Amino acid sequence: MNKKIKASAAIVAAIALSFGAFATTSASAATKTFTLAYQGPLSGGEASTGIDEQNGVKYAIKVFEAANPGYKINLVSVDDEGDPAVASKVAPGVGTNTKIIGLIGPAYSGATIASLPYYKAGNLTVISPSATRVSLTDPKSPTAKSDYGRPIFHRVVATDDKQGPALAKFATDGVTSPKVFVFDDQSSYAVPLRGYVEAALKNVKGATVVGGGDSVPNTTTDFSPTIAKIKSSGANVVIYTGYYSQAAVFVKQLRDSGSTAVFAGGDGVFNQQFAVLAGKSGEGAKLTGVAGLADVDAKIEADFKAKIGVSSGVYAVESIDAANIFLSGIKAGKTTRAAINKWVKSYNFKGIAGANIKFNQHGDISEGGFAGFLVTGGKLVNKGPVA
Amino acid sequence: MFTVFIDQFWQLTVSGIALGFIYVLIALGYTMVYGVLRMINFANSEIFMWGTFGAIVASRDLFGYNQTSEPAHGAKLALVLFVQLFASMAFAGLTAVTVEFVAYRRLRAKGTNRLATLISAIGMSMVLSEVMRLLTASRPVGSPRILEKVILVEVWGAQIRLDTLITIVAAGAIFIILERFVKLSRMGKAIRAVSMNEDAAKLMGINLNRVITTTFLVGGLATGAAGFFYVTVYEYTKFNIGFTMGLAAFTAAVIGGIGNIRGAFFGGVALGLAEVYASAILGTQWKSVTIFIVLVLVLLFKPSGLFGEAVTQTRA
Amino acid sequence: MKNFNLRDFGAGIWERSNRYQRIAIVLLVITLAALLPFAGASFLATPVAAYDAVLVYPVAIFVLMSLGLNIVVGKSGMLDLGYVAFFAIGAYTNGLLSMHTGLNTWEIMPIGIGAAMFAGVLLGIPTLRLRGDYLAIVTLGFGEIIRIVALNVSWTNGPNGISGIQMPPPILGKEFALDDQKLFFWVVLVMILLTIWMIRRLTVRRPGRAWEAIRQDEDAAELMGVPTLKYKIWSFTLGAAIGGAAGVLYAAKNLFISPEMFTLNVSILILACVVFGGIGNIWGVILGGAILGYLPDRIRFISDARLLVFGLVLVVVMNFRPDGLLPRKKREKALIKKGANA
Repeated sequence: MNKKIKASAAIVAAIALSFGAFATTSASAATKTFTLAYQGPLSGGEASTGIDEQNGVKYAIKVFEAANPGYKINLVSVDDEGDPAVASKVAPGVGTNTKIIGLIGPAYSGATIASLPYYKAGNLTVISPSATRVSLTDPKSPTAKSDYGRPIFHRVVATDDKQGPALAKFATDGVTSPKVFVFDDQSSYAVPLRGYVEAALKNVKGATVVGGGDSVPNTTTDFSPTIAKIKSSGANVVIYTGYYSQAAVFVKQLRDSGSTAVFAGGDGVFNQQFAVLAGKSGEGAKLTGVAGLADVDAKIEADFKAKIGVSSGVYAVESIDAANIFLSGIKAGKTTRAAINKWVKSYNFKGIAGANIKFNQHGDISEGGFAGFLVTGGKLVNKGPVA
Repeated sequence: MFTVFIDQFWQLTVSGIALGFIYVLIALGYTMVYGVLRMINFANSEIFMWGTFGAIVASRDLFGYNQTSEPAHGAKLALVLFVQLFASMAFAGLTAVTVEFVAYRRLRAKGTNRLATLISAIGMSMVLSEVMRLLTASRPVGSPRILEKVILVEVWGAQIRLDTLITIVAAGAIFIILERFVKLSRMGKAIRAVSMNEDAAKLMGINLNRVITTTFLVGGLATGAAGFFYVTVYEYTKFNIGFTMGLAAFTAAVIGGIGNIRGAFFGGVALGLAEVYASAILGTQWKSVTIFIVLVLVLLFKPSGLFGEAVTQTRA
Repeated sequence: MKNFNLRDFGAGIWERSNRYQRIAIVLLVITLAALLPFAGASFLATPVAAYDAVLVYPVAIFVLMSLGLNIVVGKSGMLDLGYVAFFAIGAYTNGLLSMHTGLNTWEIMPIGIGAAMFAGVLLGIPTLRLRGDYLAIVTLGFGEIIRIVALNVSWTNGPNGISGIQMPPPILGKEFALDDQKLFFWVVLVMILLTIWMIRRLTVRRPGRAWEAIRQDEDAAELMGVPTLKYKIWSFTLGAAIGGAAGVLYAAKNLFISPEMFTLNVSILILACVVFGGIGNIWGVILGGAILGYLPDRIRFISDARLLVFGLVLVVVMNFRPDGLLPRKKREKALIKKGANA
C-alpha cells in the first residue's frame, strides 16, 4: 500500500471511530426527564441572536429545575444558522424525534416557514420568541397555505404590522411637518417592515415620505450614497428598519455629515449594543421595541448573570416566557406532544414582564405592544408604550 | 433618478474616491500574489478582516480605549493612529505569510494543479473567518472614535472630512511606497523576475520561496493598511466583513488588469466611484449588479483589464 | 504494492471483467446506493438533522450538481464560480410555476432545465472567450446578479422568498412524504444515474474529445480545427442543465426557497466537492459531493466549530492529496501538471 493511501485510510478510520463514539448519547433514567428543543442560529453570521435566545431558555430551565427537584429537562440545540435551507435539513429530524415534546423557536421567520411542514406533520408545538412575519399567523395572506402555522405555531412577540404604525408614530412624534426617509437592509425582516412603516406614515398627520427610500445590502458599511439621498431629499426624519450593527455604523456617518435629522429604528435596532456602538452619534435616536430583561426586572437580570455567566441579550424576556409555557405544562403533567399543544392553546398566565400571555386562535398573543425608547446618555430609556 | 446624482455629485465623488483608496490597498494584496503565482489568493479577504482587528486590538489593549473614550488630539492622536496602522499591517502581514505557508507552499512544491491550491486557499479562508467568529462570539466589534471627524472644508457642497483626507493621503503614500519597492528594490526586481518567468528566475539564482513569502508579506501589509483605514473611517468590524470588501477589491484588481500594480490603483478608484454613483442613481440594492455588468463590459473589450496584465500571456 | 492506487485498482477490476460481470457490478453498486436510506441506524446516522433528509439534500443533490459542474471545470477546464446561478434558476422556475400555474414537478422539470440552459447559452456566448481567472470572476458575478435580482424584484417575492411549492405527485402509486424522504432520494439517484450515463456517452464521442483538447491546450485545439467556442458553450450549457434540474428538485424537496439560499458559498462548495473528490473523474466527483455534503451534518456534535473543522479538512486533504481522493488517470494528470506550469 502506498504511504498516502495508508495515511488517508487511517484518517478515515479515525474519523469513523470518533463518529461511533459520539453516536450514542446516554439518558439518565433516575429522575423524570423531558426533552425540549431550541431552534435558532447557533453558528454562522446570525449566531449571536440564537445564542442570546438559547441562554434565555437555559436560564428558564435552570430556574425550573431548581424549583422542582426530581425534574430534569434536556435541551436539544437545533442549529438552523437562521437559514431556511439549513432549517429544512434539521427540521425533519426534530419533527420525527418524538422525545422532543415542545420547541422554543425558530428564531427567524424564513427558517420557521421552511420548518413548519415537518412540525405540522409531527404535531410538534412551537413557540417562537422572535419570528415576526405577519403571514405566519394570518390565514388571509396570499401565502397562507404554506405559511400559516396553525395549530402548532405560536409566538410571544408582536408582529411587524403592529410595529409599523408604532414606529411611524414614535419617529415623527414632536417633529413639525415631518419629511421621512425610510430605508431597509434587504433582509426578509426589514423589507416588509419598511412597507408597514411607509403605509402607516400616510396616516400620520402632515408626514410625507421623501427621497424614494433606499435598500442597502446588510454587508454595506459605506452609507455615503444613502446619506446623499437623505440630504438631497431634505428629510428631517430617517427611519431604518434593519438591524442594530448597521444602524450604528450608519448613524455615525449621518451625524458626521452634519445632518441633524431624527434617527429612528425598529426592534432590529433596539439593542443596548446600538447605543454602545454608535456612541455620541446615537444620542436621541428613537427606537421601538419590547423591554429587555434588565429593563423589566433588574433582580432577574442579576440572577440571570449569576446562573448563565453572561448578561441577557436580545429577546431574553420572550425566550424565558416561551420556555416557561412549556415548563409549566410539563409540571402539570402534559408530557406528550398532543397534551402540550392543548396546554399551550389554553395557556393564560402572567409572563415575566407582567402582562398576561394568552394565545388567540392563530397563535398570536393578545397582549403586548411596542414601547418607544429614546437613547439618552448611552442607555435606552423607556418612554412608555406607543399606541 | 438623477436628481441625487446631480445634486450631490461632488460629495459622492469625494466619498467614492475615499472608498476607492481602501479598495486599492486590498486589490494590491490580490494583485501581488497573482503576479507571481497566477493564483487568486482567496484568503485575502480574510487577511483584510484580520487586519481590521489588529487596529482594534492595538487601540483597546495598548492604549486602553473603550467605546466611551474621548477622541485623541495632537501628538497622542498621531501616536495612536500610527501604532494602529502598524498593528493592522503586522496582523495582516503575519496572517498572509501563514496562509502562504499552510495553504500554498506544499502544493506549490508538488507543482500540482491550480484548483487544488484554490480549494486549499478557500479552506484556509474559512478557517480564518471561523476562528475570528469564535473569538468574537459572532458579534460586531466597534472601535471607539479616536480621530475626530471634523469637516475641514466644503467645496461645491462636498465636505472634505479629516478622515477622508487622511485616508486618501496616507493610502496614496503607502501605495507609492509599495509600488517603488517592487519597481526599484532588489527584492522587488526578484519578484518581477519570478512573475515573468519562474524557471528562468530560479536559474538566475533567485530563492523562490523567499520571493514568494515576501510577495505574500507585501500584499498582506497593503491589505492590512486597508484594514486600518476601514476601522478608522467606519469604526466597526465583524468577522464576516471580509467577503464583501474582498469581492469588490478583487473585481477592482481585475478591472485594472490583475497582476498589474498600477492597474490595481486605477481599478480600485474606478470601482469606488462606480459603486457610489450606481448606488445614488439606481439605488444601493443594484450596486453589485452594476459593478459586475461594468466588469463584463470591460473584459469584453479589454480581455485582460484596462491596463493589461503585467505579463502579457494569460495562463489558464 | 508500491504503486497502489485505488482508482487504478477499480479500473483494473472493471477492465478485466466480461460483459456479464460488468452488468453485475453496476447492479450491485446501484443497489448499494439505493439501500443507503436504510442505513440510518448505523454509524452513518446524523445527529439533529434527519438522516434521510440529509441524504437528499445536501448529499444527493450535491453529487448531482458536482457531476454537472465537473463537465465544465473537470472535462473542459473552465473555472466556473457562478454555478449556483443555474441552481437558482431551476429552483425559481419551479417556485414561480407552481405558484402561478397548476403544473407539477415533473412537468416543470423540462422547463426548468430549458431555462437554465438558455441562461447558460446567454451567458456563455459573450463570456466564454475569456480564459482562466477572468472567466471565474465573470461567472461569479453572474451568480451574484441572479441572486440580487431575485432579492430585489417583486415577482419573486423579494427576500421573503416563495413558499408553498407543491410536492411532486406520487410515482408508481407511492406518495412523497415529509417524514420519510426515501422516495425523494431514489428520484435524485435516478437523475444521478442518467447524468452519469450521459456524461460517459459524451466523453467517448466527439464532444468529449473536443473538451479534452480544449482543457489541455485551447490554442492548439483551435489550430487543429476544433471549434472551441462552440464546444465550450456546449459544455457550459450541459452543466447548466444539470444545475437547473438540481434546482427544480431542491425546490420540490424544500417547499420553500428564498434568495439567501443561493449565495456564492454554494458555488464554492460545489467546486470544492469536485476538486476534493478528484476533478475530472466521475467517481471521485461523486465521492467528493457525498463527503462534503454529508460531513457538516455528521459533525454537528462539535456544533460551533463545525465550519472550522470543515475548512481544516479542505486544507489538509488538498495538501496531502492535491488531485483529490480519487484522481483521474495518470496520463491526463501528467499533462495538466505541465499545463499548469507553462
